[in-house]
Amino acid sequence: MSDSGFFSFIADNLKDFWLFTGFANATYEHFIMIAVGLIFLYLAIKKDFEPLLLIPIGFGILIGNIPFKADAGLEIGIYEQGSVLNILYQGVREGWYPPLIFLGIGAMTDFSALISNPKLILVGAAAQFGIFGAYIIALLIGFEPNQAAGIAIIGGADGPTAIFLSSKLSPNLLGAIAVSAYSYMACVPLIQPPIMRLFTTKKERLIRMRPARQVSHTEKILFPIIGLLLTCFVVPSGLPLLGMLFFGNLLKESGCTRRLADTAAGPMTDVITILLGMTVGASTQASEFLTASTLGVFFLGFCAFIIATASGVLFVKFFNLFLKTGNKMNPLIGNAGVSAVPMSARISQNLGLEYDPTNYLLMHAMGPNVAGVIGSAVAAGVLLGFLG
Amino acid sequence: MRKRSFGLFVLLVLIVGDFSYCQTKGLCINEVMTKNASNVIDDYGLHQPWIEIFNTSFSNIDIKSCFLTNNKAVLNPHLAATQRMAMMYMIPKGDVYSNIPPRQFTLFWADAMPKRGNNHLDFSLDSNHSNWIALYDANGVTLIDSVTVPPLKADCSFALRKDGIKSQGWEIKGLKTGTYVTPNTNNVTLDSNVKITKFKEKDPIGISMAITAMSVVFFALILLYSAFKVTGKIGENVLRKNAMKARGITDKEMAKEKLVGHESGEYYAAIAMALHEYQNNIHDVEETLLTIQRTKRNYSPWSSKIYTLRHVPKR
Repeated sequence: MSDSGFFSFIADNLKDFWLFTGFANATYEHFIMIAVGLIFLYLAIKKDFEPLLLIPIGFGILIGNIPFKADAGLEIGIYEQGSVLNILYQGVREGWYPPLIFLGIGAMTDFSALISNPKLILVGAAAQFGIFGAYIIALLIGFEPNQAAGIAIIGGADGPTAIFLSSKLSPNLLGAIAVSAYSYMACVPLIQPPIMRLFTTKKERLIRMRPARQVSHTEKILFPIIGLLLTCFVVPSGLPLLGMLFFGNLLKESGCTRRLADTAAGPMTDVITILLGMTVGASTQASEFLTASTLGVFFLGFCAFIIATASGVLFVKFFNLFLKTGNKMNPLIGNAGVSAVPMSARISQNLGLEYDPTNYLLMHAMGPNVAGVIGSAVAAGVLLGFLG
Repeated sequence: MRKRSFGLFVLLVLIVGDFSYCQTKGLCINEVMTKNASNVIDDYGLHQPWIEIFNTSFSNIDIKSCFLTNNKAVLNPHLAATQRMAMMYMIPKGDVYSNIPPRQFTLFWADAMPKRGNNHLDFSLDSNHSNWIALYDANGVTLIDSVTVPPLKADCSFALRKDGIKSQGWEIKGLKTGTYVTPNTNNVTLDSNVKITKFKEKDPIGISMAITAMSVVFFALILLYSAFKVTGKIGENVLRKNAMKARGITDKEMAKEKLVGHESGEYYAAIAMALHEYQNNIHDVEETLLTIQRTKRNYSPWSSKIYTLRHVPKR
């Protein structure tokens, strides 16, 4: 072999190699998405915006937007069948991560605030107006009913439910819906307080709620059993989510399955959260994600959050008209009807403390907050039943 | 003990037997063609009569060891299972045709030439007369489905109007324009999601959906509210009774006055916190000595790398 032939062979190899690098395959869309991923990481690490969600999603966005030669069949992209990322993404696409997350939520949630004051359940129901308000707007914009339902469920502020429903009704919008749902959930400290202030007077913000009564062990055990039977008999299509939620709660409350409850609430939820967050982030591959419909999804998600928060707050005010003095509820807990647990309850607490440093609303807000989880799962079941 | 074990065994056999029947219960005869002149061809390139079986369920069903027959003699209730089995064609095991995916089909050729493959039956169909066709479970006794096919013209089929739904009745397809013979595929071609199309037509801006769905959400949660209102009342009564017993109060009025059993959760939380602190010896004063004297730092294994290295094996 002559020298020139040898060097041209090496040059050809390097040229081929160059074609496989990210630099050769990068487009401006990739850089936009990488910038989005970096913003997510910045918000999570520097601003402490729900780091447990935003770090896996933000890093997932970076993973999903490394440019590569798509037609080389390297089986590395999340949308290439058989790739590792694609296998991990199955849990999102087939909708089996969300019920597992719900199992964990059930195992770590104390429903006693709700059991001691059952009328808080209705606040959780009222906040679901956000879902159906967004559904109407989505139809007016021109989305199909199934797509509108998938997008509207973002208003439930419940990431797993949003993923579960969109994987069934509008799989092509799954990535956008999941990222939108989790982004807005992380942004509830920014979105909700102005709306809560707008719809309440100073006097209402100072309302002190009656302390919760003591809840017996038997009541806590009965809650998941009765809850499952009643809700799933009405909406069987919510079974995967509600079944797992109440099962997890029974593991916690039974008192004799502590190991299982600890595993469900701890290591299992952590593993699924890591996989879910990372794959949802990676599913935002620029070519699939940067479309006009994604912008629509984000706009509608925002509308859904606003409507849900406003309807929760307004419902409490409406409910107060029928309650005796001393039994009235502080409307600042209305925002917690969206099921971003426990972020939205924490916002009620912080805002309450802002106006009265001795008025602790956290446990009262946890009532509508966990009712919101049940309510959004029921709403998802209804939508799935109607449009699935 | 033996009797109990035997009883359990019998129960298990019954359950397993019933379960396997439950699985095949999802099968049905969906479409039949008795005279195939120019319709679909088999794997030998021949036009043969065929029977289409549909899996109505949402999981795979293996049809292996089930029986297909056109012999009405099997209806005789006095026949033993083995006699009945001998009169029918057993669908062999280990063939791809036998495992039917959810809501899918498999086709059997009624050409009386079973040696041509597992999906070729050992009987044929008579196009000039009506044909009774039955599908039996693997036990040879349980009838899964049967149909009497009327005499059909060439290239016409007798099919369920809607796949797997008997209540919608049967029709002859291919006779008039607009009806198509559909071997190995849906009898009705669904080119859109009926539910979504209906919602688009009847509820274009979603008001009806919003009202209906919110009503369901409220209904479900009002049910929960009512249930927990009742259990809460019962729970409160039990708590009050226990508290009265513990304090030795018998008069209900007095208990009401003293708010017995109405202590808030905060009250109990404070007691629990105090107990927790007491039991875990948590206190504000730490047992640490503050000094300005120089203290010699002792060797700490945490800072030594040697402990994290693998040991050299002993000889």
